[in-house]
Amino acid sequence: MNGTWLMMNLRAVRGRAYPRLIGLTREPSWMFFEIALPLLTVSAYAYIYKFMAAKPEFVGYVILGGAMTAFWLNVLWAMASQLYWEKETGNLSLFLVAPISRMSILAGMALGGMVGTTIRAISTVFIGVFAFSVVFSLTDPVALVIVFFVTLVALYGMGMMFASLYLLFGREAYHLSNLLTEPVYLASGFYFPVRYLGFWTAAGASIIPITLGLDALRQIFFPSGAQDAFLPIWTEIFVLAILSVAFLILSKFSLDFMERLGRTTGRLTLRWQ
Amino acid sequence: MKNDLATFKNAAWLGWQMEANWADPFLFATYSIVKPITGTLILVFMFLIVTGGETDKPFFSYMFVGNALYMYVADVMFGVTWVIHDDREHYMTLKNVYIAPINFYAYILGRAAIKIAITSIGVLVTLAFGVLVLNVDIAVGTIDWPLLISSLLLGLACICIIGLALGGITFLTAKHSMGINEGVAGIFYVLSGVIFPISILPTWAQSVSKVLPVTYWMEGVRRGLMPDAISQLNSDAGFDVTALGGFSNAFLMLLLVLSAVLFLVLSLYIFRYADVLARRKGKIDWTTTY
Amino acid sequence: MELAVETKSLTRVFEPKKKKEGKSVVALDSVDLRIEHGELFGLLGPNGAGKTTLLKILSTLLLPTSGKAYVAGFDVENEFHEVRRRINMVSGGEISGYGLLTVKENLWMFSQFYGIKTKVALERIDQLLELFNLEEKKNEKVRTLSTGQRQKMNVIRGFVTDPEIIFLDEPTLGLDVNASKVIRDYIVDWVSNGKNRTVLLTTHYMAEADQLCDRIAIIDNGKILACDTPDNLKRIVKTNTTFALDVTMLENKDALGVIQGVDKFMFSDDAEKGFTRLKFVLTDESAVSDIVSEIVKSGSKILSLKKTEPTLEDVFIKMVGKGLD
Repeated sequence: MNGTWLMMNLRAVRGRAYPRLIGLTREPSWMFFEIALPLLTVSAYAYIYKFMAAKPEFVGYVILGGAMTAFWLNVLWAMASQLYWEKETGNLSLFLVAPISRMSILAGMALGGMVGTTIRAISTVFIGVFAFSVVFSLTDPVALVIVFFVTLVALYGMGMMFASLYLLFGREAYHLSNLLTEPVYLASGFYFPVRYLGFWTAAGASIIPITLGLDALRQIFFPSGAQDAFLPIWTEIFVLAILSVAFLILSKFSLDFMERLGRTTGRLTLRWQ
Repeated sequence: MKNDLATFKNAAWLGWQMEANWADPFLFATYSIVKPITGTLILVFMFLIVTGGETDKPFFSYMFVGNALYMYVADVMFGVTWVIHDDREHYMTLKNVYIAPINFYAYILGRAAIKIAITSIGVLVTLAFGVLVLNVDIAVGTIDWPLLISSLLLGLACICIIGLALGGITFLTAKHSMGINEGVAGIFYVLSGVIFPISILPTWAQSVSKVLPVTYWMEGVRRGLMPDAISQLNSDAGFDVTALGGFSNAFLMLLLVLSAVLFLVLSLYIFRYADVLARRKGKIDWTTTY
Repeated sequence: MELAVETKSLTRVFEPKKKKEGKSVVALDSVDLRIEHGELFGLLGPNGAGKTTLLKILSTLLLPTSGKAYVAGFDVENEFHEVRRRINMVSGGEISGYGLLTVKENLWMFSQFYGIKTKVALERIDQLLELFNLEEKKNEKVRTLSTGQRQKMNVIRGFVTDPEIIFLDEPTLGLDVNASKVIRDYIVDWVSNGKNRTVLLTTHYMAEADQLCDRIAIIDNGKILACDTPDNLKRIVKTNTTFALDVTMLENKDALGVIQGVDKFMFSDDAEKGFTRLKFVLTDESAVSDIVSEIVKSGSKILSLKKTEPTLEDVFIKMVGKGLD
């Protein structure tokens, strides 16, 4: 790797992020859907907790989980399975023929989508707080920034690994993305503290970075979060940091392996799978 | 009529090919079972954490059954719209189907029929799981079959009809069609008493709930499937928790029929209008890469 | 000096996912090809001949089952990073790109995947847009382009990176005469104006291959059947030259059939329209001048003269046994 290689890949990241970023301004209608739709699920779960007379923090957990679904869905649909659509339109061939790392393309997709995703997440929190009168209190801003950063790096690293499946598989991988939506909401404790799934289930689910990320965020934003916590915040940050490095390395190998497999079997450019 | 049936049959066959055959059968079966059950388990765990595991409470059955039935709302409505979106944007076959001398409604309904069949697998598996594992209060001996079957069929018809309207809108917009779909399905999820009784909603929202056919559909199917649990829910709470307790079964069915008719007229109008507008604007064979 | 493209016994077999889905398909069968730098090389073959498969291997999208392929001296299998730095590809009927970007933005975006500085990229894009008569569309969204405009944009995308070797897979497919001409003219200019620029072009259009290519390989069922210059290929088909002349009514035609170099002579008189149609199959083209002299001597006037030579289509039919479908 040299400076030229680095610049080439940074340009590629910028190039691929561009359509996502420019789409925000050219088609601003996304804002309505990205803000309104998540609120519907959040509202449903918030009302069910209210009906069951759960403690107020649980409504807060739902809002937080609803906000974080933006990032999970971005990884699943706007990054990993996006390669399926790129294959169908013929863009994938052009990306693969270019002398750049596949991770640059995926990083571009991730960064480009990050703005919209973050707006969606923040608006979910604000509107949820307003509609349900939930009190968020920030106990440790430094921890918040670190948790958010390592969670996203680990999550997007995992997303790159997923994306490698799409190099090879067509519609099956698309179904896999579909399959991973609800099970991950369940196992990662999007709408309830993951510790209630039992230690070993929660431990297993921690391989998905958003599990520990959400758990840490709950502790940061809610005073009673500690009693619903799975692990202490800094333990979770440590594990997330390891996951970040691990997923980024694994994704490189996975992408290379899947690409080679795709070139061998001829499935890299096969449409209508 | 014979041609329409043939179209319906062929469209259903195509729908089956697209839904089932393009994936490994094992994956397809898992997708039809795992996804619905895990979706339901989120609510189950939420319930268990708050109540300490009292699945024999009637509210648990209420919530479980509603969530299982909701699969029809999400999948079938989405399925109808997706037919138009997918055929136009991804496979670029919509224009060929459109200009063929067939009844286009029959084509869409055929594709929807397969969606209903596939979704039914998920619904049945979920309900069976609930009854066998989680003590959901459905006893075959207490099922009010006439009410169940009539409300189920009417409700499915309503959903297909609403899906048709959304399908019409899809003619005119590529990028928003999924969002509109999700939005409408989400509104039903929040306002139709799917997982919680509408009495918990603000008064203005309850008024909206009472205009939606899915609200009556949910209530009708629940009353048919588990009549005892529903009456127990209201008596435990000491008030009309569902906010529909004052409606008799017959009146409920009447409301369902009336709302189905109303939506049929509305949907046909929307679909026809959207169709004409799409032809005028050249959007039948439009591709946008969305 | 290394070749631009070299393949040695290149074979590619596609196996079905499951046995019951059918037999394996031999898409390429021991293909040996050598393309020099600076060549405009054509690959002609019917559908399913293996043209696109070959291009996919050379552009590193597909691995061979056996044999070797080298692009600019680098092995496509193990040195694909080096290959990718030096190539680009354009396919006919591409719908790549993003509909919400403008033409210029789309082209810029793809240039970034090759590490080209924005200033340089935009200059090249402007030049190419002008050459391809697409300048007025540069700020239009890609989804508003017609098929021909889109394909021009795709071709620009291929050339904007200034590759050493470019693979063009039926680049004028489905385009009208004007759009096709612009693209063809550009391809020829591009090769001749640069050092070491190579084009590998697959096409269905015989005339295009004949007009553009320095050499042509004819491929069918994964095998190269012939590879040579268009003129040499036409010589394979030993068809004599045919001349057809329309002349004013010619009474005495006997002398024409016995001119040296005339193999066959046919005629028909159209008394109503007042002309005679003469057809000569010549073993020696120089006999034309004697024919013309004889016609003039007899007092007749030449109304039209047409020469028919063996075409690439004749070569193709002879080699493949059928026309291009």
